[in-house]
Amino acid sequence: MGHPTIYPTGTTLYNPEKAFNGYTIFQAAEYGAMLINMNGKEVKVWKGLHGFPNKMLPGGYVMGSRGARDTRYGYQDNVDLVQVDWDGNVVWEFDKYEFIEDPGNEPRWMARQHHDYQREGNPVGYYVPGMDPKVDGGNTLILAHKNVYNKKISDKRLLDDTIIEVDWEGNIVWEWCCNEHFDELGFSEAAKNVLFRDPNMHDCGGGMGDWMHINSMSVLGPNKWYDQGDERFHPDNIIWDARESNIIAIISKKTGKIVWKIGPDYDVCKELRKMGVIIGQHHAHMIPKGLPGEGNILVYDNGGWAGYGLPSQTSPYGTKAQRRDHSRVLEIDPITLKIVWQHTPTEAGYLQPFHSHHFYSPFISSAQRLPNGNTFITEGSGGRLMEVTADHELVWEYISPYWGKKFKLNMIYRAYRLPYEWVPQLDKPEEVAIERIDVTTFRMPGAAPLGCDDIVEVEGTLGYGDVDGFCVTTEEAPAVNKDDEDDEYSGVIRI
Amino acid sequence: MDITIYTATGCARCKIVKGFMEERGISYVEKDMKADGKDDFQAFYKANRSAVFRGPEGIEFPIIYDGENIRQSIGAALAFLHAGKKLDGFFTVGTLHKEWVNGIHVSGGDPRYAEEFLYILRYLKDKNMKLQLETTGKNSGVLKQVLDEGLADVMIMDVLGPEHLYSRLAGEEIDIEDIKASLGLIQSFPEYKIRTVIAPVIREDGSVSYLTPEEIALTAKLIGEGSGSNKLPYMLKAFEPKEAQNPEFRKLEPIVNLLPYRSKARTYQVFADIEK
Repeated sequence: MGHPTIYPTGTTLYNPEKAFNGYTIFQAAEYGAMLINMNGKEVKVWKGLHGFPNKMLPGGYVMGSRGARDTRYGYQDNVDLVQVDWDGNVVWEFDKYEFIEDPGNEPRWMARQHHDYQREGNPVGYYVPGMDPKVDGGNTLILAHKNVYNKKISDKRLLDDTIIEVDWEGNIVWEWCCNEHFDELGFSEAAKNVLFRDPNMHDCGGGMGDWMHINSMSVLGPNKWYDQGDERFHPDNIIWDARESNIIAIISKKTGKIVWKIGPDYDVCKELRKMGVIIGQHHAHMIPKGLPGEGNILVYDNGGWAGYGLPSQTSPYGTKAQRRDHSRVLEIDPITLKIVWQHTPTEAGYLQPFHSHHFYSPFISSAQRLPNGNTFITEGSGGRLMEVTADHELVWEYISPYWGKKFKLNMIYRAYRLPYEWVPQLDKPEEVAIERIDVTTFRMPGAAPLGCDDIVEVEGTLGYGDVDGFCVTTEEAPAVNKDDEDDEYSGVIRI
Repeated sequence: MDITIYTATGCARCKIVKGFMEERGISYVEKDMKADGKDDFQAFYKANRSAVFRGPEGIEFPIIYDGENIRQSIGAALAFLHAGKKLDGFFTVGTLHKEWVNGIHVSGGDPRYAEEFLYILRYLKDKNMKLQLETTGKNSGVLKQVLDEGLADVMIMDVLGPEHLYSRLAGEEIDIEDIKASLGLIQSFPEYKIRTVIAPVIREDGSVSYLTPEEIALTAKLIGEGSGSNKLPYMLKAFEPKEAQNPEFRKLEPIVNLLPYRSKARTYQVFADIEK
């Protein structure tokens, strides 16, 4: 999102009639887990509770971490994962994944959790009617890190992504390690070559390659595809996405093998060419049963820079090989690979490509399907949360007023909307509509109002006609037949 | 002693064994299975198939044969040439390549012949070989001598199980203090690791069952007590029923999920992990 110097924060727009009204939980940068109501009133802060991300559970519980590992030795490792009650008491915790002895730090167990986790009872970590996560028992799936060597991938030390299942007592009962499935990922020889030489190296801990950077992990849960007999979509199976490789995949919980995948290459079939390359994506998950769009894959396709491939003028070494300067939220049918709904700069009302960057977060971000069919979007880099209807009307918007002092962004990794009843400690708040302000007349104190007192006509002027592009062509050209199934260039929109 | 040595063209280990025999004045006949000795070796292998180890990468050379005894690989061959059957148990067929020699078992042989055992290790080291040794903890006195003379480049200690099951798992009476003494030495080797195979146990009532996660926790505790450290590189390995000698063990289903074992082991050894 391109920001002017001065702009409002907090809730900027709110239509109570069309929004899915409830609370919103997010990590206020370098402050804590923040719960706000629809008007942006801060109703609770769990100060110091990190959230990568924070998630609410019914009963006023919040999940998060008590801190992060020393960044000189680890990359995005949270020390633990905890469940905290309304009063800040830790009622569940896990840290026994790896015993860490970082120089200058007290040796301790760490969860090395990052980016995601799921509590049993709910597949995706957000509100689904009839699928409440357990609050006093059940297993928890955790996305974690482990350092490994795998010479098939690279001669460098790798920061591997793992998924572990932990029971209520803290025992690890299941583990999946991404590097052990390298052969299933479908990298081209060009990508393998780049990956071997530079698996997205970070300096910390003497150097480690964050080669996949899995940033989302959730369970499929009950779904119509499995009900129809498609074993790939077994309710226990797990979907994840990896921003560095542009891969979205489903793994079998039983065998660990990849059973469904798109990426890393999006030119391998007509359907994917039509979809267009997904770049640096976040929060790919299956819309749970009972929500509009159930069974489809919802993903925040960031754009930005990601992927391994052939060197080019914008990627001299073949790293971050794909690039795009705007984002898309895509809802994909996993069988036909068709985009069945999308929210791109065009649907958001920004003229493409001229203002595409007004819907853009090159990292973090998410999309949540709400029970009324709306979609709750975290456009993370600029700290903007928004709710749009199925026909793209913006019905709620909020800008985080919390800028980090160490990491100077007001970013929000991932926010969630939750129903009022998940927080029984609070009375339902008043919902006050906030009309979209007319920015053409909105002025700062001291600024002159709109309009000129001295207007003169110029003789011979032609007036202003239609403009078909200005220096660059628009995304809509050339014309295609959207109804032609065989036209791989047809589709909802091509980007 | 008339020895037939089966070799492969270019096999450095074969040259070392031939050199050993020449030094000792032992007469031998060489059959190079990649040259003129191919037919002879095939006939020998056909007649002695069960006595010759064939791994996934083929047959390990050299093989020596005195008309009655067969010894395969460099360590076992030298040991037999030096001390006859006295060193049986200390050496088995190795599987490592280039300069590395394994299949050397500190606990496998009779400690009365420690000096003969050490002689072979010294001989191998003099020939610039690197040695990976294994121990179950038995013969800690021999292990101490190996350590003191710097004869092991890598030491792997297989801790069979918890104290109360150790003799049962070893199939012989074991002095647990001997095991603890070995554990006390293990960290002094240049490179080492400790591991436990989650093995089946014949219980007191005659039933057969795998070591339990709780018993692995006690195993990790034993390691901590013996070594004085809870931070050792401790690996857990699944038992492979197909390779078991005991027919009862071959009937077992392999353990698929070692995670409960790892969780329990980490109670006493924080770096415990699963060997894959």
